[in-house]
Amino acid sequence: MSENILVIGGGPAGLNAAVMLSELGVNVTLVERDSFLGGNPKKFKYKFLFPDMQPADNVIGELIKKTESADNIKVYYSSEVSDFKENGKKFDAVIKSTSGSETKTFDSVIVATGFEHFDPARDAKYSYQLFDDVIDIKDLERMMGENNFVRPSNGKPPKKVAFILCVGSRDRHVGNQYCSRVCCTVSVKQAIEMREHFPDCEAYIFYMDIRTYGFFEDLYWKAMEEHDVQIVKGRIAEITSGPDNTVVCKGEDTLLRGPFEIPFDMVVLASGMEGGSQSPEISSKLGIELDEHGFLKPENVTLSPFKSNKPGVFLAGACTGPKAISDSITEGAAAAMNAYTYAVKNR
Amino acid sequence: MEYDENGVSIVPAELKKEIFEEARKDFRYEEYVRGCLNCGVCTGGCPPHRFFDFSPRIVLQKMKSKDPELIWTMMDEYVWACFQCFTCAMICPFLNSPGGVIAILREIAVRRGFESAKKVLKPYSRVLLKLTAYGNQLSPDMIQPDFFPDWGPHIGYASTDLAVKRKAIPMPTLQVTNLAWDVAPETMKELYDIFDEAGVFKIIESVDPSLYEIIQDIVDDVRSS
Repeated sequence: MSENILVIGGGPAGLNAAVMLSELGVNVTLVERDSFLGGNPKKFKYKFLFPDMQPADNVIGELIKKTESADNIKVYYSSEVSDFKENGKKFDAVIKSTSGSETKTFDSVIVATGFEHFDPARDAKYSYQLFDDVIDIKDLERMMGENNFVRPSNGKPPKKVAFILCVGSRDRHVGNQYCSRVCCTVSVKQAIEMREHFPDCEAYIFYMDIRTYGFFEDLYWKAMEEHDVQIVKGRIAEITSGPDNTVVCKGEDTLLRGPFEIPFDMVVLASGMEGGSQSPEISSKLGIELDEHGFLKPENVTLSPFKSNKPGVFLAGACTGPKAISDSITEGAAAAMNAYTYAVKNR
Repeated sequence: MEYDENGVSIVPAELKKEIFEEARKDFRYEEYVRGCLNCGVCTGGCPPHRFFDFSPRIVLQKMKSKDPELIWTMMDEYVWACFQCFTCAMICPFLNSPGGVIAILREIAVRRGFESAKKVLKPYSRVLLKLTAYGNQLSPDMIQPDFFPDWGPHIGYASTDLAVKRKAIPMPTLQVTNLAWDVAPETMKELYDIFDEAGVFKIIESVDPSLYEIIQDIVDDVRSS
């Protein structure tokens, strides 16, 4: 008799966990709250992934295909775990979907509920939703994905675009003191992409620290050396409207200019990652710990970042903190291994 | 006092250290000075930064340097360039308050009767007098063309026939021009006690001794009445 394992969340981490477990011969139940698989990358139509600019579909599409074609993965779309109880070393979960509720017993559980993009409207200084030409990275990603890169205000191609880093991250006012890790690299990637496809459009990046960690640093240098992206040290204090239908970024160039007010055709806010409303919900439903940043808390952040405080419940992906898609996929595999070991031991 | 090429007064190293310690010991210090990532949001949003060489980011960085020399460079003119609008405190992602640091440093300058403090407070002597002696801030007779040129071109007209204009105000007023409102002697005595306890009179004595004498005469009169 094969093991039954529950995977909650069908993003990169959850999908890879499901695929790995299915290859081990496990019966996988995948619960997805949306009506489609792929998580945020699919929802917001990410087009190219850093560092190698490969199409997102190569990664996400591949995982979805493997999941959908596996006989032993049962996917519940538009569904949630509505009730969860421990049953000895096993777990009883009620899965609620559009076709009703179903109770199943599982040997172990993987939580891969992911993150939410920070809503920049929460920080009034950026005037997001006030000015049409202030968008954020997920909006730009969608525009690029739909081949529709124009100024929302007038439908014309922009000539000068600003990228603003650390929106909703490293800011006590919005309650997020942490760094969201990937936004620097995503913004640099987007600036390169923009300069490649629209060479007439100037790109500025306003930063506090550029955190293109590890090999992502190559992109940062490339943006400067090959694509003439202007990189200015100074966080934006305010975005106002300017003459000729422009948006003005106001701040201090802490290294060179001092105070500045520069008009742009379009501003892209690098909004960070948050635990979203799903993290506290799943935390109380499953009885696992939430950390002070609003993400799920691993049992030991260094030794076992993929384990929750509850034996048999494992964590994978951005539900434990901001991370790159590659890290989420790695954690999906690590959680799958651990969930499988737990299931086999307690059979 | 002697000044260096940057216009900073030359004083012994011990005094600089004392000033730094005094600021550090202020009960608000821990609340105002936290981490700083040099992001520049405070300075980007700072109104005086548009007009003067004044940067709240530099204020906080110098304070965090714990270097008495650097902090001293702000004590003469620099601290007086701040508008005390606290925009910096409102927008700092770390919740620092450079404006608050300025307030601490200004109070030190005033308490110690520094030349810069005397110079800055001089135009306010009439306000200080009304406030500390009478419990009023502005009274009609303070409206004079020489004192409020920034009140616009009609200040000359506004300053004439004050008693008549006062009567024309369609609500009960004191009908006097040397006070804005009446403060009972008992209230004045309480105010004096507060000023005494808070060291306000002592501060005025150090920055403007002649003003202090005028105020003390009035205080003595009211107290003995």
